[in-house]
Amino acid sequence: MTFSFFQPIFLIKVITLIVVGFYIIFTFIVFTQVKAMGKIIGLPHASSIFKTVSIINIILAISLFLFALVIL
Amino acid sequence: MTDIFIAPVKSKQKNQHTTEKSHMHALSSFSKNPLGIKFEAQKKDESIVLFLRPHILTNLPWVSLGIFLIFFPLIIMKILPMLGINFLSSEIIAHFTTAYVIFYYLIVFSYVLISFLTWFYNIFIVTADRIIDIRYSDIVIHNVSETNLHHIEDVRYSQSGVIPTLFNYGNLYAQTAGATENFEARSIPKPKEVTDIIASLIGND
Repeated sequence: MTFSFFQPIFLIKVITLIVVGFYIIFTFIVFTQVKAMGKIIGLPHASSIFKTVSIINIILAISLFLFALVIL
Repeated sequence: MTDIFIAPVKSKQKNQHTTEKSHMHALSSFSKNPLGIKFEAQKKDESIVLFLRPHILTNLPWVSLGIFLIFFPLIIMKILPMLGINFLSSEIIAHFTTAYVIFYYLIVFSYVLISFLTWFYNIFIVTADRIIDIRYSDIVIHNVSETNLHHIEDVRYSQSGVIPTLFNYGNLYAQTAGATENFEARSIPKPKEVTDIIASLIGND
């Protein structure tokens, strides 16, 4: 079977990667907002916990992108 | 000569609540004179009298939806084989299914995180000089408003519905003079007590 860019599977893979890419951008926005809120209001431990959680979110999103890139 | 009228000394009693400092629980919705909290543009000698955020019960809708969304794929996985649909029939479909399930759970995780942040960072602070309303919504919007206490003309609260009455939370409205923005704190615990404290601060201002 010859490879074609117009194969449905390939198109679905590209669309999936684009959507996950947007999700990565979104996780960076969440991280920026968490940082901004930490500056506005200083609550004990909250800022560092939320920063850690949002960094984990970014790492998971990037991992998913790489995972999708490899297995799809 | 006997005294006809002796004015009651109320101001000391009213200000008693402003002197006792207390440690605040991380998820607390109502805290008087909390320790360890600082906000941007806080003056050196400015102490926080009240720290408020919506009642913890207001999180119930997104918590319920979050729990449902966590278990939703498991329900689907039980139902689909009964209908003769198998998402693990071939290697390529199994790969797509795996990627989409992981992506789905990441979105659920983000939904829970954002909902929690929206509750956590919707804060209403009352200091001895002013009130500060910090609003955080839709992840890309955060708004900080403040007004001096002497700009506040009227402060009132409303409690409507069975659950707010039962758990003692409601909305607080602070009307400011002129074209200044009015303040509203939604679903805060003990709204009557908060109204009384702000009213006493305005009176003593």
